[in-house]
Amino acid sequence: MEEKEFIQNLLNPKTQNEAFQKLLLDYQKPLYNHIRNIVLNHDDTDDVLQNTFVKVFQNLKKFKGESKLFSWMYRIATNEAITFINKKAKKNGTTSEFLQTKIVENLKADSHFDGDAIQIKLQKAIVNLPEKQQLVFKMRYFEEIKYEEMSQVLGTSVGALKASYHHAVKKIEIFMIKD
Amino acid sequence: MNDFKINNNSKIDSGFKIPEDYFGNFSEKVLMKINTPEPKVISIFHKRKTWLSSVAAVLIISLSITLYTKIAVKSMEEKLTLENYITNQSEISQYDLVTLLDTKDIDKIKIDLKLDDTKIEEVLTNSSEIENYLTE
Repeated sequence: MEEKEFIQNLLNPKTQNEAFQKLLLDYQKPLYNHIRNIVLNHDDTDDVLQNTFVKVFQNLKKFKGESKLFSWMYRIATNEAITFINKKAKKNGTTSEFLQTKIVENLKADSHFDGDAIQIKLQKAIVNLPEKQQLVFKMRYFEEIKYEEMSQVLGTSVGALKASYHHAVKKIEIFMIKD
Repeated sequence: MNDFKINNNSKIDSGFKIPEDYFGNFSEKVLMKINTPEPKVISIFHKRKTWLSSVAAVLIISLSITLYTKIAVKSMEEKLTLENYITNQSEISQYDLVTLLDTKDIDKIKIDLKLDDTKIEEVLTNSSEIENYLTE
């Protein structure tokens, strides 16, 4: 089924339920991973993922098909995740950077994390990067999203994304060889 | 570790685990959330703002009424004292007062009376003091 046809099914009240179920099945796992990489813990990811799908459903009428469904949904998920960590930080009277660093420091105790020392060190290296570089690195390295697609999600040129990834990799490599 | 190349080394997984069966009931959770109307959120600040404005309005009104009555009473008292002083204490005669009146004041005290000429004549002829007034 072509994307245009699928979008029509999503907008048509008669076919909406079935189409939305399919959308959920197709995107729940990749969007979970995308959000989890940003907010880091499972419970927060669950909240953000649910809100993302609710927002997608509520805004289906506004989706004009100018961008791909994939990039539109990833854009909503990214915004929801970033807004969530900023709100959480504000609630705790701290910055989102400090909050994320704390979560990474306590990853060992997280029951939904089974990484080894190298994986923890990589997470620590990532959390030290500027926000945009973190996002680009996670989307490219962990989620293997193509630069062209990432460009549509983040509204940044492919060249700028490649440069961000390159800077991120350099900083991570330096961090990884430190004791 | 002497050298680390992210693109040469074998891929490092993020290490995040998804709880078993998490996606088993995920669709239902989302659909339930979509079908449950969100409770209307009324901002506490907005409520407080209205409340504060009403308190402020009541305060301003009560203050202005008190002040107005005080000023009004005071000015009435002042008028009375002045009137009493002029009539009882001062040596200002009616003639002095008349000289102080300008055309505007005279206009103000003018009374529009439509009197019949015959009636005026009648009153004047019957009044014994008319001659005194005329000579004066």
